[in-house]
Amino acid sequence: MTRLGFLLDSDSCIGCHACTVACKSEHDVPLGVNRTWVKYIETGSFPNVNRHFSVMRCNHCDDAPCISICPTKALFRADNGVVDFDDGNCIGCKGCMNACPYDAIYINPATNTANKCNFCNHRIEQNLEPSCVVVCPTNAIKVADLDNPNDETTKIIARSDTAVRAPQQQTQPKVYYRGADQASLDPLRTAIAADGMIWADTTPQHPTTSPDSHSVIARTAYTTAHQMTWKAKVSSYLVTKAISAGVMMMAALLVALGHADSQAAVGVMPAVVAGVFLAVTGLLLVGDLRRPERFYYLLTRSNRRSWLVKGAWVLGAFAAVCAAWFAAGLSGSSTVLQALALPAALLAAATAGYTAFLFGQCEGRDLWQTPLLLPTLLAQAAVAGGGAYSVADLVMEIPAPTAALWMMLAGLLASGLLISAEIASKGTAHVEAAVTAMTRGRYARRFWAGGILLGLVLPAAATAIALTADTGAVLPAAAIAAIAGMWCYEDSFVRAGQSVPLS
Amino acid sequence: MSELNAYPPHDTWHDAVTLDAKAWPKRVEHHHTLVPTTCFNCEAACGLLCHVNHATGRIDRIEGNPLHPASRGRNCAKGPATLNQIDDHERILHPLRRKGERGSGQWEQVSWGDALEDIGGRIRAAITEGRHNEVMYHVGRPGEDGYAERVLKCWGVDGHNSHTNICSSNARIGYQSWMGHDRPSSDFANAEVIFLISSHLEAGHYFNPHAQRIIEAQSSGATVICVDPRLSNTGAKADFWLPAWPGTEPFLLLAIARLLLTDGAWDQEFVRRWTNWETYLRERHPQRPAEFDSLGPALLEDYAAYTPAETERVCGVPAEQIEEVARIIGAHPTKFASHNWRAAGAGNLGGWQTARCLFFLNVLTGSVGTLGGTTGNGWNKYKAPHPPAAGPLQHWNELNWPREYPLAYHEMSILLPHFLNEGRGRLDVYFSRVYNPVWTNPDGFSWLEALKDHDKVACHVALTPTWSETAVFADYVLPMGVGAERHDVASFETHAGRWIGFRQPVMRRFAEIRGGDVGHGSRTHEFNPGEVWEENEFWIELSWRIDPDGTLGIRRWFESAEREGEPMSVDEYYATMFEGVPGLADDAAAAGQSPLEFMRDRGAYALEGDMYTPYEREVDPALLDDCEIDDAGVFRRPATPGTWSGALEELDSLTLAGLGDGSPAVKVDGTPREGFPTPSRKLELYSQTLADWGWPEYATPTWIPSHVHWEDLNLERDERILLPTFRIPTLIHTRSGNSKWLSELSHRHPLWIHPQDAEALGIEVNGLVRVTTRIGHFVIGAWRTEGIRPGVVAASHHMGRWRLDGANGGSWTGGDVDLANEGSVWRLRRKGRPESHASADADTERIWWNDTGVHQNLTFCVQPDPISGMQCWHQRVRVNPAEPGDAYGDVVVDTAKARSAYNEWLSLTRPAPGPDGLRRPLWYARPLKPTPAAYAL
Repeated sequence: MTRLGFLLDSDSCIGCHACTVACKSEHDVPLGVNRTWVKYIETGSFPNVNRHFSVMRCNHCDDAPCISICPTKALFRADNGVVDFDDGNCIGCKGCMNACPYDAIYINPATNTANKCNFCNHRIEQNLEPSCVVVCPTNAIKVADLDNPNDETTKIIARSDTAVRAPQQQTQPKVYYRGADQASLDPLRTAIAADGMIWADTTPQHPTTSPDSHSVIARTAYTTAHQMTWKAKVSSYLVTKAISAGVMMMAALLVALGHADSQAAVGVMPAVVAGVFLAVTGLLLVGDLRRPERFYYLLTRSNRRSWLVKGAWVLGAFAAVCAAWFAAGLSGSSTVLQALALPAALLAAATAGYTAFLFGQCEGRDLWQTPLLLPTLLAQAAVAGGGAYSVADLVMEIPAPTAALWMMLAGLLASGLLISAEIASKGTAHVEAAVTAMTRGRYARRFWAGGILLGLVLPAAATAIALTADTGAVLPAAAIAAIAGMWCYEDSFVRAGQSVPLS
Repeated sequence: MSELNAYPPHDTWHDAVTLDAKAWPKRVEHHHTLVPTTCFNCEAACGLLCHVNHATGRIDRIEGNPLHPASRGRNCAKGPATLNQIDDHERILHPLRRKGERGSGQWEQVSWGDALEDIGGRIRAAITEGRHNEVMYHVGRPGEDGYAERVLKCWGVDGHNSHTNICSSNARIGYQSWMGHDRPSSDFANAEVIFLISSHLEAGHYFNPHAQRIIEAQSSGATVICVDPRLSNTGAKADFWLPAWPGTEPFLLLAIARLLLTDGAWDQEFVRRWTNWETYLRERHPQRPAEFDSLGPALLEDYAAYTPAETERVCGVPAEQIEEVARIIGAHPTKFASHNWRAAGAGNLGGWQTARCLFFLNVLTGSVGTLGGTTGNGWNKYKAPHPPAAGPLQHWNELNWPREYPLAYHEMSILLPHFLNEGRGRLDVYFSRVYNPVWTNPDGFSWLEALKDHDKVACHVALTPTWSETAVFADYVLPMGVGAERHDVASFETHAGRWIGFRQPVMRRFAEIRGGDVGHGSRTHEFNPGEVWEENEFWIELSWRIDPDGTLGIRRWFESAEREGEPMSVDEYYATMFEGVPGLADDAAAAGQSPLEFMRDRGAYALEGDMYTPYEREVDPALLDDCEIDDAGVFRRPATPGTWSGALEELDSLTLAGLGDGSPAVKVDGTPREGFPTPSRKLELYSQTLADWGWPEYATPTWIPSHVHWEDLNLERDERILLPTFRIPTLIHTRSGNSKWLSELSHRHPLWIHPQDAEALGIEVNGLVRVTTRIGHFVIGAWRTEGIRPGVVAASHHMGRWRLDGANGGSWTGGDVDLANEGSVWRLRRKGRPESHASADADTERIWWNDTGVHQNLTFCVQPDPISGMQCWHQRVRVNPAEPGDAYGDVVVDTAKARSAYNEWLSLTRPAPGPDGLRRPLWYARPLKPTPAAYAL
């Protein structure tokens, strides 16, 4: 079998950017995005100072997280081992951009689909070298057939002291570096200084470690921009989904507590609320696609390994059970509600929690890999469900209102504990960088004032007071604060997770 | 992987099948014709291969030409970016004539015919009225060898002006004063020590071909040494980066020379055989015995002061490092390849001694013309023969060749506005050709003043592929093609070998292959975008308009030999040229093609011949029968400058060689050998010419303290040395501004400053800086870097483009400015930056940067070296935080101060006449050497 990889020889690379331009030309890559680029870093002090060059691009991983997460098989493994893609399948979900630990994938602004280095597989098909290989003045980019021990480049890789980027991600990258400065391969060891780069502007889209970080030993003198991909829509979807799931969990709990015959509050209202927020969830998901008109590819071109696909199934099943619940509620069939209670609760939990597995597939976002994410999402669903019932209490008769209070309080306390554990735990350098961004950096205000104070402390205090003093007047406000704060927390978590530079 | 090819096989180039990259993984086939041409961005003229799509008739992409001997199918970023220049949505597509005031931005489209009639009529009048010197052709990037010179020669006009003295005059004098040839040709690929006073891995003559071979050698174990006060990418790749104080480089080199001498690590046999050491001893050490054994002690006496310790003090490079480098050089005799072209040479007063002292190391190590050494360009360059031309010029144009600079290499182009201002002459027709002096030259506002003045320049014709700061002040803007739209033949000394490269209009060739009519009646502008033409056909047409009836004797040089009474076609021209290239006709015949067809299909041709130690070639004594042998063993030929008595009345009987004094050989140990094209036919350790023409103190390799020498600066206060000339690998002066890919890669233009200097000068991180020169100031942003010597600040010369009118291109790089003038004070202020906007190119909406840089050259006065004429670019400046009211990009200049600076530098000269009442040594090279009589002052 052929298994293609690159040898990028930093010993020979002169930093001329010819590969960048040849690639732009070959693939008509628009301004602002790159399939390959040359990173410059500077180390030392005068006169013992140096500048190092390393070429950045897709690593064509043997265990490619982008292929796993891609819901529509737009990214696929070619027969020659290359991670290739098919624009025609891409729905623009950007999952691959978060799955890639190398910043290698971008959304093509001309097509709104995810593109990256595909090894010029259309040229390989014609027995032609990739265009970057052809153009390179110093032969610093070489193609290796890693399955052929007699291949000259494979031999160099075998006998030289080569390195790969982000080996800890265990993606089995097939791009090998010779002679690269270690810091140039580790984005946490270099930073763009306050006065920017050598001959290009620095924008907010140039992710960089803080120059003051203790891990930084070099200056990034040249690199390219990488847009953040999942933003407010994703943060919002986490919240709407939590409300939808939470309210059904609460309803199932009430059925279990023997309130199955409270048709309005247990049968109809939660299904309507869940349905509405599930619809909003769906709209947010489709709205976040760069090719929303292709949303149905999720079902017609499914990659069943992708949690985006599994998530769609979960949401669909949950929607079905909500519909059944609604019908049972309307028809006043408490037996049906009793029969549906367990599946509804399980699907609600799955709806709330599957995102933990989706985020888990985002191998490029170490923060999101935390095992605490699943319980956190469930706790948030409890907060949202309890909160929703507390608000509903304003307009209708709720059976066992204290149960809603206890559920919200339990969810708040659990969230507090889980988030504390998350920010206190020692993770990888990437996790620490992300936690720093969340708690002390760009997103600190959103996290502390929104996520913690507004979302946890105030509602928990109000709920505790309500439980002890039996004054429920502030509860709807507390519930709304909890949900607004939840959004702040999710948004800081989502953004901080993407704030760590990967290239 | 070995099974992969870089390019489709040559025999498929007329119909190569490729797969659509965007449609992939669907297999969508395209049929392409692959047409070779050469790049027109930098001077290297690397091979390009244009992929013309059969279905659309457009060039889909541009790769390298694998058949090109220098570039070998590989390119820098600027090669493939040629596609942007072709597709540039703002390019000039039609001939334009000015409507309003000069610089008003008002143009009307004219036909080529009308433009030719008008310009041709003016030139005809100038010639018939004896105003030959009012016609000037000023070339920036020539991109060809000899075509334009031939045109001027046939017009009888000494009007060739060039960009040489903003570029390479110093290096040329440095090399020429040793070996006659004025350019180095370094065999990097086979070298064991590579010594660069340049940034050849990113710039220079010749970036891509040289980078390939330098890295090849380094991978095989060669040591790379780079001298540069700034950490260039080359410095970063070098094994030794020696950041000597600017202008002290010759000192460093002489220290190394001294160490080679003291260590006995010099090639005595080579020096004895091939230098004019006898002359050196006679002139400098007459008290010593006139024998070779005196040479070592004599040199050591001359260079006694250049100890490692003193060198450390003067140059700022540690003594141990100098000793280590000298040891390495001494340990690799004959395989020392060195190079200087601009860098320290172009920066400093006396910078020509950089190349002279550098080549001294080649001489001492016997690395001249050897495998792995450095030779003269003349031996690794092949000038294909042009069709016959008129005889030598009768005129001497003092606007280009003023008497103050008899040794200048070459034209004193930077002084043109001052000469016009002094009334030394006027210009009736001034062609600026792929040249942007307002922007590129120092003292641009003096250029602007001259170009706006109709009394000084009556008609300015800008021949250019792109809008430029100069073109907007022209009377005609005539669009000329980029690399894939024009014919040129060029050859450069990129490595140990010789080649010619053929640039051709790709769509014309495509039409020809597809059976279109490209015969005598066709013109290249019919195939190019819009009416974009090429100079070469334009010159033929223009020559016909100058002399429509042939009475001036001009037209006949441009007439078809095949069709009487019709202009010569470009096919005819190049067919004639290629038929004269040795070996080409045979190889073409073997391929069943004519030489022209062969070149159109391949784009380049490697000439055979062993180019190592050519000076050792024995000369057949039969060919020397008519010569006399002088005391030094030089064979002197009658009726050449080598035998001239000095009598002015005999002057016109002489025949001038292109280079050298016409002496064909020199006797070395009894055998007549070819030698070097110097008067002594040897390497000139002592330059008799420099001594005779007024500079005896500089006749040997010497350090001349620079005008920016650090010991003369008040470094305690705010004085610093500004390095305003460095290239970055992705841009090329003002010609790459129309490439979006290159502009995206590099657009920011900070002032490099060491953190220690920034602190001392109170310049904040990312703070604005006011840099004050002798004639004005500019305002720029600071970039703190460890990659520069403290005491030195630097900014690339590739940025700072501006435009008066958004209509004149520049979307990717041009900053809109307000230009104000009061008396002699000019102010340029930014009012706009590149930003996202809608246009015919969707990518303009994706512009994400907004820096355009600062046009610093405007604030530099002319600083011509009194010998070479080189603009000494380095600036003695004051560096301070910006003042209240300063804005990024501000430029303020007083041209009255520029004039007084000009006069001061002019006073450093030692004007002609030289010996025998001449304007210039007869043996010196000169574009368009006139008849010998014209040399008499």
